[in-house]
Amino acid sequence: MAAKTEQKERIVLDVAYQPQVRTKTDTRRLMLDVIIALLPAVGVAVWQFGATPLLVIATSMASAVFFEWLYRKLLKKSNTIGDLSACITGLLLALTLPPTAPWWLPVVGTFFAIVVVKQLYGGIGKNFLNPALAGRAFLLASYALIMGQYAVPNSLKGAVDGVTMATPLSYLYTGEPMPAFLGFRSLFLGTVPGAAGELSALALLVGGLYLLLRKVISWRIPVSFIGSVALLTLIFGHSGYGRGEWMLYNVLSGGLMLGAIFMATDYATSPVTLKGQLLYGFGCGALTVLIRYFGGFPEGVSYAILIMNLCSWAIDKGFHRHQFGVSKEDIEAEKAAKKAAKEAAK
Amino acid sequence: MAHTFKGGVHPNYMKAPEIPVSVIAPPPVAVIPMIQHIGAPNKPLVAVGDYVTMGQKIGENPAPVSAPVHASVSGKVIAVEPRPHPLGDMILSVVIENDYQDTPCTDLQPLTEEQRRDPDAILERIREAGVVGMGGAMFPTAFKIRGGVGKVDKLIINGAECEPYLNGDHLTMLNYPEQLLKGIELVRIASCVDKAYYGIEKNKQDAIDLLNSLHPEQYGIEIVPEEVKYPQGAEKMQVKAVTGREVKPGGIPSGVGANVVSTRTCYAIYQACYEGKPVIERIVTVAGSALKAPVNGLTRVGTPFGYLAEQCGGFVKTPRKIVLGGPMMGICATSFDAPNIKGTSGVLFFTEEEDRHVDEPTCIRCGKCITVCPMNLEPVFMYMYYSKGDFENMEKYHVMDCFECGSCAFNCPARMPLTHAFKTAKLMFQAKAAKEKAKAEAEAAAKAAKEAS
Repeated sequence: MAAKTEQKERIVLDVAYQPQVRTKTDTRRLMLDVIIALLPAVGVAVWQFGATPLLVIATSMASAVFFEWLYRKLLKKSNTIGDLSACITGLLLALTLPPTAPWWLPVVGTFFAIVVVKQLYGGIGKNFLNPALAGRAFLLASYALIMGQYAVPNSLKGAVDGVTMATPLSYLYTGEPMPAFLGFRSLFLGTVPGAAGELSALALLVGGLYLLLRKVISWRIPVSFIGSVALLTLIFGHSGYGRGEWMLYNVLSGGLMLGAIFMATDYATSPVTLKGQLLYGFGCGALTVLIRYFGGFPEGVSYAILIMNLCSWAIDKGFHRHQFGVSKEDIEAEKAAKKAAKEAAK
Repeated sequence: MAHTFKGGVHPNYMKAPEIPVSVIAPPPVAVIPMIQHIGAPNKPLVAVGDYVTMGQKIGENPAPVSAPVHASVSGKVIAVEPRPHPLGDMILSVVIENDYQDTPCTDLQPLTEEQRRDPDAILERIREAGVVGMGGAMFPTAFKIRGGVGKVDKLIINGAECEPYLNGDHLTMLNYPEQLLKGIELVRIASCVDKAYYGIEKNKQDAIDLLNSLHPEQYGIEIVPEEVKYPQGAEKMQVKAVTGREVKPGGIPSGVGANVVSTRTCYAIYQACYEGKPVIERIVTVAGSALKAPVNGLTRVGTPFGYLAEQCGGFVKTPRKIVLGGPMMGICATSFDAPNIKGTSGVLFFTEEEDRHVDEPTCIRCGKCITVCPMNLEPVFMYMYYSKGDFENMEKYHVMDCFECGSCAFNCPARMPLTHAFKTAKLMFQAKAAKEKAKAEAEAAAKAAKEAS
C-alpha cells in the first residue's frame, strides 16, 4: 500500500485549462481534404491533355514544398511542410497554368508565391494575398505569351486546326458567337481549352460538394461569388447572346468555379465573419464581371479575388457582431443613447 | 420547434450509461474540505478526537451565500488542517478515520407532508442539507431559489448532461425516476411557480420515455426533449432552448425570469426532504484511457482520487491528467490525495491519448471558432488582441461574455489555446479592476488625510 502511494507520488500530473479534449480534424486534415477535392479536376486535365499537366503539377507541388522547407531552414524556423499548405499552393498554382506549360514556369511561380507572398509575412495564416493567385498574377505579368497559349484538348483534335486555340472566355471577351464545339455540355464536362484546373465545371462542383460535406468550407463565399456573377451577367447581358445563354457561359467558363470554390475560400485571405463572407463573395463576383466587361484581359477572377483579399480585414472589422443576449431593441437603444450624447455635446 | 441554440459542437460522447451503478467502498480516511460551494468558507464544528456520525454537520457559516458540509462516514476526527483541494491549493479540511460502522446521524428527519408544501420549510431544509449546484457550479441552491422567488416564472431543470463521458444524471433518471420527479416538485414549490420544464437531450430517449410514463404533469412538470449538442446544458443555452429568452450580457437567468437547477441537485433535494439525508454521496463517472473500463460509481464525498482509481480497477496506463467533471469544461486536479466533493460529476484519468497537444499552434484563420461560439463571439479576434495585450479591443470584442464552454478550442484545427487565453484575459480584467479600485481608494484616503490635516 505504502509502495503504491509512493509510486503515485512520482507521477507528474499535467494541468491545463479546458477543454481537455479536441476534435480529430486538424490543419493537416483540412488541407488534405482540399487536395482530395481537387483530384477530379486533375483527372479531367489528364483526360484532355495526357501526362503533361501531371508533370507541371508535380513540379509545382515539389518546388512549393521545397521553397517552404528551404526558407524556414535558412531562417532557423520550425519546419511547417507537414501541414500540407505548401502542397496546396503548388497544386492550385499549377491548375491555373496552361496544361502544356514548360516545367520551369511553376518553379518561378511557386518561388514568388511561397517565399514572397507567404513566408515573408510569417507563413501559414498570416499572408494577406492568396499565394497561388499572386504567383499566377506574377507569371501573367512576366510571361504573358506562354500564359496565353492554350493547347487543343484531346476531344477537339480534328475539329480544330493547329496546336493552340482560343478559349471560351476569349469569345466572350470579343463578343463573337461561341462555336458549336464549345457548348454548355463541353464546358460542363471539360472538353474545352483552358487552364489545367478550370476545364470542367462538373469536376470542380464535385470537389466543392466534398469540401462542404467535410465542413472544410462554408457555402457563403462560393454561393455569393457565383450567384453575383450569374445575377449581374443576367441583368446586363451582351449583344449577340441571349440573356440566359450569356449568363450560363459566364458562369461555366474561365476560372470562376475554381476561383469561387478553391481560391476565394482560402482561410487566411478571406473574411471570417459570416456576413462579411457574403459581402466578400459578392465583391469578388462584381469585380469579376467588371473586369470581364471592361478589363484588358478576358479573365477577371484572379484579380477580383486578389483585390478582395486586400479588403478582407476591413470587411471583418465592419461586420463585428453583437453577442448572445443583445436584442434588436438593445441595439436601437444603444444607438439612440449615442445620438443623444452627441447632441448633448453639441 | 426544435429546442436548441445557435452554435455548439458535437464531441465524441464516450458515454456508457449501460454500465450499472456500482457502490464505491467508503475510503479508510475521508477528507472533507470546508469549501465545497461558491461563497463564504465553512468553519469546522468539530475538533481532533471527536467522534462523528455519518451525515453529521461538521462545518458551517451563517453567511447567506454558503452551504454546510457533513461527514460522509462515521468515525474519529484525526486532523483539522489544510489539505490538497480538488480545485487546487490547500484548504482547511476535516479528516475522518472511517470506523466502517456508518452510524447514522439523526439530526435531520424527513419533512412532514405539510412541511413539504411550505416553500420556507423546503428552502430551510435545502440549506441545512448542504445542497449546492451539483452540475459543477456548486452555487448554494437555497440562495439561488430564494433569490428567484417573485422574479422567476420559468423554472428549468437541467437534464442535458451534454458533457462527454458523464452518466450520473442519466442514471439518476433511470434508477430513481419517481424520486426525481418528487424532488423537482419540491423545487417547483420552493420557487413558487406552477410549472417546471425538464430539458433533456434526446440521446437519453429511454429516460424521457420512462419519465413521461410516470405522468410528470401531476407533479407540475413538462419534459422538453432537446437537440443533442454541446453546450446544451449551459445555463444560458438551457434558458434559450426552453423559453426562447436570451440572458442579457453579464446577467443571470433570473434577469429574464428563469432559473436553472440541475438533475442531481433535484435528487439531492428529494433525499434531503423525504429521507432526511444531507449531501454526502453522488454518482461519479470514473473514466479515461488510463483506466481499463469506465465505472459509474456511487461515491462518498471526501474519497481521495488515488483511492477512487484503485477501487475502479487501478491504472493500465500512467495517467497524465486528472480531469474533474466533463472534459469540455472540467478542470485538472493537482494531487491524487485531493478528495471528490459535492460538485464532482466525473473523475477522468487521461493519458497522452486524449491530449492532442501541438508544440507551436498557428492560427490559420479558418473561422471555425466563430461558427461554433454559442455566445456569438469572435474568438479568432479575441485571441489576436489577447496575444497583443490589447485590453481595449478585448473588451470591445466582449471577452467578458465568454463563459469558457471550450467549444472554440475544441473545434480549432490549429489547436490554439483559445479558452485558456480567454480565461486568463478575464482574470487579468478582474485584477485590473481590483487594482484600479484600490488605487482610487488609496487616492481618496490620501485626499481625506490631507483635508483632515
